[in-house]
Amino acid sequence: MKLNFLFSNKYKTPGWFILFIGLILFCLTFFIGEEPSFFDVKVFTMSANGFGDTDRYFEFISNNVYNEITAIFIIVGGLLTTFSKEKNEDEYIAKIRLSSLSWAVLVNYIVLLFAIIFIYDFSFFTIMILNMFTTIIFFIIRFNIQLYKLNKMDSDEK
Amino acid sequence: MKNSIKVERAKKNLTQAGLAKSVQVSRQTINAIESGKYNLSTILALKIASVFNVSIDDIFELEEYDWEKN
Repeated sequence: MKLNFLFSNKYKTPGWFILFIGLILFCLTFFIGEEPSFFDVKVFTMSANGFGDTDRYFEFISNNVYNEITAIFIIVGGLLTTFSKEKNEDEYIAKIRLSSLSWAVLVNYIVLLFAIIFIYDFSFFTIMILNMFTTIIFFIIRFNIQLYKLNKMDSDEK
Repeated sequence: MKNSIKVERAKKNLTQAGLAKSVQVSRQTINAIESGKYNLSTILALKIASVFNVSIDDIFELEEYDWEKN
């Protein structure tokens, strides 16, 4: 019985690459200050309101898509990295994957609870933005540490 | 769960890597099973028994601990 939702192993490397670009773009936002006007384009929106302007639904608006591209790169890269099979994928790896995933979700929400209690105003908004990615990032870190430990595990051959 | 994979391997003069290859898992997985770090699936247990040409309970044995609630 084969029942899983994993991509083939060949998507792993492109996943890392896309994630890496996304993270670089993300880090750059802290240095460049203003988003480059190169990214100003017209986009179709289903809903855009809340910043004082008139509420807009299902129409074209102008927007700087730097943030959107960054988020898409991190999420797509992160998902490909997270949900691609390992080269030697087997049931033990599947178990490590699953336990790392539940660890990541748990830690993510513990951190979020902490932030809800101790962080306010605009700082909390920043946490919410980071929180969009942290589950995947926590998972990737945990899963790869576990794999590293597994590969390092002393073999007691013979 | 106790297991005697190591003993069976020795009888057949089979390395962890060799066994891993015949049951289509990684060597680390066999290592984790032998050292009791991982409770394998029924399918894999059947495959291993089949490679050694014995029945499952010749290799795997329940321990008291397995009856305790987690």
